[in-house]
Amino acid sequence: MSLPRFTAFLLPLLFAATCGADPATAQASAASQSDPAPLGPPLSGAALDRATEEVASQMRCPVCQGLSVADSPASSAVDLKAEVRRQVALGYTKEQVIASFERSYGEFIRLEPKAEGFNWLVWLAPIAALVAGALVIFFRLRPLRTGRSPATAGNAGGTPITRSTREDSRPS
Amino acid sequence: MNRKVLLVGLILVAPLLAVLASGLRHDPREVVSPLIGRPAPGFSLADLDGRTLRLEDLQGQPAVVNFWATWCQPCAAENPIFSAVARRYAGRARFVSVIYQDSPEAIRAYEQQRGRWGSTLVDPESRTAIRYGVYGVPETFLIDARGLVREKVTGMVSFDGLSRSLEEMLVASAIEDKL
Repeated sequence: MSLPRFTAFLLPLLFAATCGADPATAQASAASQSDPAPLGPPLSGAALDRATEEVASQMRCPVCQGLSVADSPASSAVDLKAEVRRQVALGYTKEQVIASFERSYGEFIRLEPKAEGFNWLVWLAPIAALVAGALVIFFRLRPLRTGRSPATAGNAGGTPITRSTREDSRPS
Repeated sequence: MNRKVLLVGLILVAPLLAVLASGLRHDPREVVSPLIGRPAPGFSLADLDGRTLRLEDLQGQPAVVNFWATWCQPCAAENPIFSAVARRYAGRARFVSVIYQDSPEAIRAYEQQRGRWGSTLVDPESRTAIRYGVYGVPETFLIDARGLVREKVTGMVSFDGLSRSLEEMLVASAIEDKL
């Protein structure tokens, strides 16, 4: 298969793999409504700023197109970031904070879907497609590197098939 | 093209295309609330007169919790609907409106002109809106007498739809009381 044709085959696969798992349709995991105890130490100052940015950058702005809460100037994202900061300051870990928002917004709030269940498709399909593509290219190009065309690769004797040899092999 | 390659490609892509095609049937921006069927997130908010209202105060009757703002045109359009439904179900259901990213002063001026159909609560830093997973306004949550979220309406409510949901919750509540 030629490279352009292989690309034409691979692109729909990659597109389908990356778009197939719509996080909006994913159900949120079961979680209690009560607030658990913070698992980390309370933060303040620069450490609090860094942790807030880190968590907010992994959360999707609910009213934007593909922007994180950290990057969005929308007023609702500003409120979400303030709530992230409040929770981080109390000592809630990154996973605890995101899980608390997931309880009300669903998995949609995660900018990257969790690597579990159907979501594995999003993570693994591109890698699988690349490996498959590399294998196809490798096996298609190998005969060319060894001096044989793909058309003659199946000729076990290694003798190039020419017009004369084909004619010679005809029954008389 | 090699027929085998084409066949394998089709076999691999077909299920993924089927998943994509099924996704075309719904609005990608419409997210099902994970709160449905779960206890409503608690709150303790002051109304415009300074009185505190908690979620627990609503239990025992179905409750309508509406998030809104004066700058929201659909909110203005559904205001008469809430007024009519609140009159119809007075004494049988509770009606609460939560201010979303708006000032109490603007709300007061608005309500002086258009009236009030329920308790109007101030939500500092949208913390209650965040706990309810509000994306924008208007959004309305229907909470049954036991405090479970039964429905979320994104966008404008309708008189018939809201009345039907309240009737269903009232009937379910009456059946539970008899059991």
